[in-house]
Amino acid sequence: MAASIEFSRLPKQHVPRLVISPRRIVGDVLSRGWVESIIPFLALLCVVVGILLTTDGYFAVSNLLTLAQYTPDAGLVVLAMLIVVAVGGIDLSVGSNFAMSAFTALFCFHILDLPVPLVLIASLAAGSLVGAANGLIAGLIGCGALLTTLGTMITLRGIYTLSSQAWLVDISISPRIDDVWDWIGFEKFMAMPVAFWALLGVAILVFVMFRQTRFGWHILAVGGNRKAARHGGIQVKFTIFLAYILTGLIVGLSGFLYAARQNSVGSDTGIGMEFFTLTALVVGLGGFVPGRGAVISVLVGFATVYILNNALLNAGLRGDFVQFSMGAIIIVILAIDVKFRKHRHRLLASTYLDPIQVKIEPVAGMAGLMPDETAPKLKDAAIIGAGRVDGPEDVILDRDGNLYCGNRDGRILRLAAPDYTHVEVLAKIGGRPLGLAFDAEGRLVTCVAGMGLLRVSMDGAVELLTDQTDRSFFSIQDDTTIRMADDLDIGPDGKIYFTDATKRYDIENWGLDLLEGRPNGRLISFDPATRRTQTICDNLVFPNGVCLTHDGKFLLVASTWNCSILIFDLADLAAGPRVFMSGLPGYPDNVNRASDGGYWVALAGMRNPIMDQAMKYPALRRRMAKRVPPTNWLFGNLNIGGVLKVDGGGSIVDALWDEPDGPLYMITSMREHEGALFLGSVSNDKIGRLNLADTDRRWNGPRSYWGEG
Amino acid sequence: MLFATRRSEAPGMTLEGVMGPNGRLDDAEGMSVDAPQALCVAGDGGLLFSSGNEVRQLSRWGAKAKKWAAFDSAVTAMCTSAGGLVAIGLRGGSVVVLGPDGKAASGWAETALQGHATDCAFASEDEIVAVHNGYVTDADFMSVAPWDDEARGQVISLSRDGVPKVVADKLHCPMGIARDAAGNWLVSLFERAAIIDIEGQTKQSGYPAYLGRIRRTAHGYVLACLARRDPLIEFLKTEREFVAEMKSAIAPRHWISPRASSEFSHDLPIEAGSTRLYGEVKPWAPSFSYGLVIELDDKLMPVGSAHSRANGTRHAISDVIEWNGAVIAVSRSSGELLKVGKAGAAA
Repeated sequence: MAASIEFSRLPKQHVPRLVISPRRIVGDVLSRGWVESIIPFLALLCVVVGILLTTDGYFAVSNLLTLAQYTPDAGLVVLAMLIVVAVGGIDLSVGSNFAMSAFTALFCFHILDLPVPLVLIASLAAGSLVGAANGLIAGLIGCGALLTTLGTMITLRGIYTLSSQAWLVDISISPRIDDVWDWIGFEKFMAMPVAFWALLGVAILVFVMFRQTRFGWHILAVGGNRKAARHGGIQVKFTIFLAYILTGLIVGLSGFLYAARQNSVGSDTGIGMEFFTLTALVVGLGGFVPGRGAVISVLVGFATVYILNNALLNAGLRGDFVQFSMGAIIIVILAIDVKFRKHRHRLLASTYLDPIQVKIEPVAGMAGLMPDETAPKLKDAAIIGAGRVDGPEDVILDRDGNLYCGNRDGRILRLAAPDYTHVEVLAKIGGRPLGLAFDAEGRLVTCVAGMGLLRVSMDGAVELLTDQTDRSFFSIQDDTTIRMADDLDIGPDGKIYFTDATKRYDIENWGLDLLEGRPNGRLISFDPATRRTQTICDNLVFPNGVCLTHDGKFLLVASTWNCSILIFDLADLAAGPRVFMSGLPGYPDNVNRASDGGYWVALAGMRNPIMDQAMKYPALRRRMAKRVPPTNWLFGNLNIGGVLKVDGGGSIVDALWDEPDGPLYMITSMREHEGALFLGSVSNDKIGRLNLADTDRRWNGPRSYWGEG
Repeated sequence: MLFATRRSEAPGMTLEGVMGPNGRLDDAEGMSVDAPQALCVAGDGGLLFSSGNEVRQLSRWGAKAKKWAAFDSAVTAMCTSAGGLVAIGLRGGSVVVLGPDGKAASGWAETALQGHATDCAFASEDEIVAVHNGYVTDADFMSVAPWDDEARGQVISLSRDGVPKVVADKLHCPMGIARDAAGNWLVSLFERAAIIDIEGQTKQSGYPAYLGRIRRTAHGYVLACLARRDPLIEFLKTEREFVAEMKSAIAPRHWISPRASSEFSHDLPIEAGSTRLYGEVKPWAPSFSYGLVIELDDKLMPVGSAHSRANGTRHAISDVIEWNGAVIAVSRSSGELLKVGKAGAAA
């Protein structure tokens, strides 16, 4: 039986609590969505700092309050413009609409003597009506947005001029005074002007609309790709129509606030507003970008343009000089932003790979066992399932000797005993099934790269157990999602222990993790009783195979790039891992029980002196990743692998290799079953079966784990 | 140069166009030979080729090869004169001249060079010009030369009195010598992937391969290539510290370098793209060994090529010659003579 393991005598494995690397921070930040808006933020910051340095008292409370009182109506128009630009249109009529709405409010208040709530409704209705006209012509009928709104802009300006000239005198001599009207125009609510709260409220509503509501998503979809949106079942024209109405509504609100504050309109009200709002929008979005509902960026752009304009005027510069400087500054901001956006992905690609110096223990315990020193025992293995399986990373056998394996196309396959010629699909999962284990009820639990931990019952039903774990303490990237669930084993109490091999790369790019050599993986547990997922140990170097020791007290975890096998004490997981084996001759993958109380260790590839040396040169690997085509990158030799037989104490007793050009070259998994060893490989299209001499022909995995059942 | 940039260098040739991949070497008729190295066409029209310590004779393709001469050490180079003399370079540095009958030719003293002749050619019936690549053992030079800054190669003139005279030195790993149409000498350089004249002036550079011997044909030249140039090796040439540690700590066999053999081995590095899938290496995968014969025109520009790609075995072409209208090549990796087809077929 198995030799007992003296855990406390094994050397401790250092596991960093925190991995901090400037390059990684830059890479992680660059891959976040909000980086898109970094240049407008920096521009605003520069403007603010510039004003602080040159103007005294600009940011005094009194001036800020004045700004808060006068800016919101323009801010609202910017948000209105954002909606119509997001849906893929443009609204040049916002200035005229703004003026007309303000006039409507004044007319209703002073001439018609309506109560203030009705005045508000009338302004909103007036704004919406213009929006509806725009939406009807540009959206439903399908005339161009530019021409349509140019037309409404001119028409509306005409109507406005006529009506305002007719009524301006009456409005200006109207004696009506109303508390609510003055409160909206001049008073403060919670220390801030009422208009400011209106802007904030609308901004939050538009933000939530774009983030959370179906209508908001439809707007972005239509703006992003009209044809795709139509194919996706979205009513494109109607969405555009509604977007224009919403734009008009917000402009109406803005006009109402302006009217309440100014109590008058002039012939120049709203003139040039469309160009001001478009400028703010373009600075915030970094260009004229449909399909992007970036409320905060646009408000930042608005603040930049507004404050800059305001400060230049305050400084006593001539109006034409202010315009000249504004234009120049905006062009500079936009040029920087466009360049940044264009090169962001290249910058990310060149900073993402973040190699570290890795020193691997020299090969030990392999005297006389290396491939060139011993007969290739896997040469005698029979090949099963040739061409009918694709990338069986793990193989496992049930009590009846049926063989199961994951397939590259996301299925779990069953090869029926005893001749394994009949291949059938047990379950379709999707993802990339890797590690497999049977639980006490005879169900198959599998680690699926890109999906998480899943359970498959023998009738083919698939159930997701978990795909998220705790977020690590310090991480810019959200790492709760399990990215590459790799292998698992199940404790006597039913608790499932599995590895997330790397948090930074997916199954297609897992090789990059070798070039990086950092501790990017973690060991996770899932308790089916409580359905709780917990990270047991973060920051492990490509934790791969997991195997419960024969006594059920310890957990073996292969650390692939470190060429070592770690051991955890299940009774004291917080104590961290110790080193069960190190200095392996290759990259260990899965570890599984052997019938004699020892273990089988699959070697996915072999070490060589050059690769070991390259692991000591992180800067070289980074330069290589930049300058050499990926296909020519120096890499671990995955063209030859094998199986190590290890005794219960962690000493290598045998090594099984195929011939150098043989069919069983990269071994990622092996299972002993009643006198035979079954061999799987993530890159092969066949499974090997080697008859073992001098082994217990009754021993199989399910019985070893779960007794006679 | 003060403002030298990378762009000021001539762009290297790629394996595209007339040098695009094909299977001509893999499809060629082959004849197994033990440890082949060099070829020449004898005065009687037969083909002479070396096999370890022996020189064998082939009267026509498909006939049985006969032993023609045998020596105490391995044959490293061969050439024939218009008059039917055959000069044979041996490991250790001797150059022996035999008559058309395979017996020692009269009037020629045996010459001992400082290093073995890597290639040779008759300048006249009284003079042989040989090149020595500067490396003593043949096994390691492909590993060592890419990382060697020192140029030790020589071109040596030999006359009947047996006294060698160095004609040119400080060449970086010269591998072959041939005469151009005007009678001037051309030397092919292994690691520099260039063809130079005897003064060291570059005649043509930027070949996509580490060069072996160059031979004159009826249409121009054929170039035997020992391996294709590799972006990883070219990149590592700029990594001085890494290379210094590799040279001091690791045996040359394990160095990253062009290779003469296509075999898999557990202790050799690979490139990411050459990982096996379903047990196979893809033909388009990168590889440190490669089979390539380039046909050149009179101006040394490529006009055709024959390949054995990453999944092939006919790699490390050490010699190539035109014989009876066909191109015959030597693959050191597979140990074969290959009949590639008509010279200039691709032109």
